[in-house]
Amino acid sequence: MKKFINDPQQFVPEMLKGIALANPDTLRYVPEYNLIHRADSPRPDKVTIIQGSGSGHEPAHVMTVGKGMLDGACPGDVFAAPPMDYVYATTKLLASPKGVLLLVNNYTGDRMAFDMAQEMSEADGVTVRTLFIDDDVSVKDSTYTVGRRGVAGNFFVMKAVGAAAEDGADLDELVRIGEKVNSVTRTMGIALTACTPPSKGSPLFDLADDEIEIGVGIHGEPGRERAKWSPANDLVEVLLDAIVPDLPFAPGDRVALMINGLGGTPISELYLLYGIAHEKLEARGITVGRNYVGEYCTSLDMAGASLTLVKLDDEIEALLAAPAEVAIRVF
Amino acid sequence: MSTSLDTTEFVVRSIAQTCVDNEKYFGDLDSVVGDGDFGYSLARGFEQVIAHWDEYDREDSGTFLLKIALVISSRIGGTSGPIWGTAFMRAGTALKGIDSVSGADVVAALRTSIEGIKKRGNSDVGDKTLLDALVPAIDALEASVLQGDSGGLSMQKLAAAARTAAEATSSLKALRGRASYSGDRSIGSPDAGAVAVAVLAEQLAEAWKS
Repeated sequence: MKKFINDPQQFVPEMLKGIALANPDTLRYVPEYNLIHRADSPRPDKVTIIQGSGSGHEPAHVMTVGKGMLDGACPGDVFAAPPMDYVYATTKLLASPKGVLLLVNNYTGDRMAFDMAQEMSEADGVTVRTLFIDDDVSVKDSTYTVGRRGVAGNFFVMKAVGAAAEDGADLDELVRIGEKVNSVTRTMGIALTACTPPSKGSPLFDLADDEIEIGVGIHGEPGRERAKWSPANDLVEVLLDAIVPDLPFAPGDRVALMINGLGGTPISELYLLYGIAHEKLEARGITVGRNYVGEYCTSLDMAGASLTLVKLDDEIEALLAAPAEVAIRVF
Repeated sequence: MSTSLDTTEFVVRSIAQTCVDNEKYFGDLDSVVGDGDFGYSLARGFEQVIAHWDEYDREDSGTFLLKIALVISSRIGGTSGPIWGTAFMRAGTALKGIDSVSGADVVAALRTSIEGIKKRGNSDVGDKTLLDALVPAIDALEASVLQGDSGGLSMQKLAAAARTAAEATSSLKALRGRASYSGDRSIGSPDAGAVAVAVLAEQLAEAWKS
């Protein structure tokens, strides 16, 4: 393993320190709880929006804190849910009289930590609602799982509720909007390589040079099938064939299309995938109304990409188009 | 049977010490079909409960239990943390603001703990979990309290019911938790969580005598 790290145990705190130092005017860092929050949060006139998850998915979620997006993010260690007391402390620290909305990607550990933190915060008089995001089409429900996983599509939920909260929407309204966006968002990804967690020091799973994992999770969990590599045209077709019938997206629909890099794929390849997906959707009679290409929810250094579709209506499109300011600064 | 903050502290202390003392035994029970980390996880969490013993807010029994819940849910690893933490949290919420806790209050609080465990673990009686010992044990406690038994006798009935029910989990197939991946292989050995409940109840009944 070759990475820019010192001590694997300090990987997350050292990253968070960097984010704070790079954004001194807009962000604050509370090391005790792995918390990054807006300098102007909490505000009495705005519902506080907090997202937590494991680290390793950056820019989600510590770098998507800012005006029109999250008020705070409390990550756990790499690929590990945040400890419940961190979520509880964060919720209380950022509590607004208008309430707190917790955004949680749908995984067992995260659900437990956030459910408990909600109960404990409510016992202290904070009004809290929680939204679970589950956009990944690759996993089917089963008796022994908590259902579909939350992956890159969480960006759209975050963006929509962030914009509405900035306009003064109340907590019930944010829950309605968040549930609506989640219900029309579908994602699936493909891994070309495994990723290497700093504390493990070796790839999380074995993938031969000519193999890909179709439907991979953002922690390297297996997806639908392991297959031989094939050209990008074919792989986009595989993703669309899984995603389009799932909602289903129909001819005449207007969508947001996201090609999300999983951390180790050059942006050139992401635009190549975008071009193919855009044309294939148009050929299916589906109009691309908004487009997103880049890294939104990664899996450390995994090479690969995911494709997300969101069915747009006037309300969702306006919320997605509203301005937002986050820590990622390209220029 | 009436319970004050002193009694609550006594019960929590006994549970914490028993979990620390039984780290290896609980781990061995779990390694039959689970992943063997149950004893370790509980011991590391309850060690923290004991290490910070003098620091918790003791306004009333409920407040004290809520502080303990926070430590347990954050410091016990795996799913045991949120599940055991929820039990303490629900009991704490139910007892908050009550200065002199009656036996009926305790039973009511423990019933909310059971509902919390069911919700958090998406599980119920019969799934081969700690609920299979806890629910019959609380049933026995309730019956004893209704009869007007002494605290000591109530504890003995609670412990006896927990032991019988824990042993009976041997015939069940695990449907929740890590052990559920073992399927039919889980039949024939008792559930580690259920046995832990029995051991905790027995230690508590023993300590109550003195």
